[in-house]
Amino acid sequence: MKNVVIGRYIPGHSFLYHLDPRTKIMALLILMAAAFVVDDIMHLLIGLALVIGVLLIGKISIKRVYLGLRPLMFLLIFTFVFQVLFNRQGPVLYEETLYYSPITIGLVVLTVVFWGFTKKFIRFRLLYFLLMLFTILAILSLIQEPLTFRTGAFVVHEDGLRLAFFIMVRLIIIVTLSTILTITTKPTDLNLGLEQILKPLKLVRINAEEVAMIISISLRYIPTLLDEANKIMLAQASRGVDFEEGKLKEKVVQIVSLLVPMFIISFKRSDELANAMEARSFVPGQPRTRLHVLKWKLNDSIIIVFSLTILITTIMARVLI
Amino acid sequence: MQPMISLEGVSFKYNQSTEALKDVNLTIKKGEWVSILGHNGSGKSTLSKLLVGLLKASEGTIKVDGIVLNEDTVYDIRKKIGIVFQNPDNQFVGVTVRDDIAFGLENLQIERQDMIKRIDTYVKKVDMFDFINKEPSQLSGGQKQRVAIAGILAMETDVIIFDEATSMLDPKGRRMILSYMRELNKEGVTIITITHDMKETIESDRIVILKNGSVLKHGPSNDILNDKETLEKSNLELLLPLELMHHLEQHNIQNERLKKHLWQLSLNG
Repeated sequence: MKNVVIGRYIPGHSFLYHLDPRTKIMALLILMAAAFVVDDIMHLLIGLALVIGVLLIGKISIKRVYLGLRPLMFLLIFTFVFQVLFNRQGPVLYEETLYYSPITIGLVVLTVVFWGFTKKFIRFRLLYFLLMLFTILAILSLIQEPLTFRTGAFVVHEDGLRLAFFIMVRLIIIVTLSTILTITTKPTDLNLGLEQILKPLKLVRINAEEVAMIISISLRYIPTLLDEANKIMLAQASRGVDFEEGKLKEKVVQIVSLLVPMFIISFKRSDELANAMEARSFVPGQPRTRLHVLKWKLNDSIIIVFSLTILITTIMARVLI
Repeated sequence: MQPMISLEGVSFKYNQSTEALKDVNLTIKKGEWVSILGHNGSGKSTLSKLLVGLLKASEGTIKVDGIVLNEDTVYDIRKKIGIVFQNPDNQFVGVTVRDDIAFGLENLQIERQDMIKRIDTYVKKVDMFDFINKEPSQLSGGQKQRVAIAGILAMETDVIIFDEATSMLDPKGRRMILSYMRELNKEGVTIITITHDMKETIESDRIVILKNGSVLKHGPSNDILNDKETLEKSNLELLLPLELMHHLEQHNIQNERLKKHLWQLSLNG
């Protein structure tokens, strides 16, 4: 339970680590906007190359970023396949006749079932999933026999392929950029940066400092509460609750047996913590001095100007071309 | 001399039927070390919460350094009294040791330069300098409690209340906290220890015994520690060496040297 990989800070040294968190957050937003404005494949690829360049200069291992992307892989592939199959605009790139018959459909069902049972034992699940899709396509297009009751067509349109590609690269760029942010910024610094950026929200009566305090206390208590959850699970296991197995109904009982004590303990903790905070002169909403202050350096200005230049260029490119 | 803390006829009710504190009168002098001793549910923790205004007395007045505690003065009074609570985990606010010590200083709006100096001084005082960038999950209970003490010390309060601050620690951690209490008291800080552990009360100047929300007895530590009858009445036990001494006396075994040694033993905890 302690191996939460997404959004984890990894200590290191490069210019990315020494940037002001405010810079990184703002640059992320600006570049994300730019990634959405781009509508030319070449420009998008240049963007991707730039992102990879930042990874290399910032000495961030590509493997780390891949770990960040992995949970999204299924979504990426799914949107890609969906776009390719169902977008019917633009010139036709590729066409194949499909033959539907009881035999081919039976084979398809068998393939899916086989895939479902064996995927657990395969290391490269993504490739295996793609392999299954190709097998289905091959079965439907190659086996032609008398029982065929319908024919269909598998058509790839240019727009479908283009859009699918766009969505995929955009998502990769955005996720990579945010992974860079979380890898190179301590949660506390990130929180401080957010607090500073959100300060103008005071106009709509949202106190950024309080929000930041809530986030910082949550960050501080995540390991403590995880420990607690482990203890409760052990305690419940010693009373006969089996967290490993069970049907859906039993799972619900297991989760309740974990959640109820967790809730009670958390409330007790927060009560004591509130007392301790108040006793140390904390008054919500009152001004406080800060130990951590952010320093804006030359590099920060350069990065912001650079990001803005990219955004403006992409907007110009889209308007003019 | 003006007392540091005085309570006059203080009562507190959690609800209509149960009275946690009944008509408590108590004065604590500046620089004094007072133990408040009592069994579970005797009202001793309620008392500490009343002193910093976390709870509001139903009756009576509390004065700290001459200021009457009420809704307007509670924030000023909290600047004079710090509390170290029982559970080290539930009073660790910062993400790191440094941040936690800074928390109270940030609340007091201390300038950053000053803050850095104070953190440096007090983290060294509790021997936690090597751990200054560590997170609470990397620290033991005793270490966390030392950080809590540093956090209070940095606020430079006149009074420090230790509200069962050692009850969740191992013997080594407990001895360490006790040695800080001794040191602080020498430096002139008023110390109030709230406990049910007799060993923590030995070195204090005075002991107040609470039972069911009232003061059963109070007096100099040496007298109370030897008062077998009163201690038994409030579900507390004599320290083992003193118990032995009483036993020897009861059976008319006279040995002054042995008695002296037993008394010494009880003092060393």
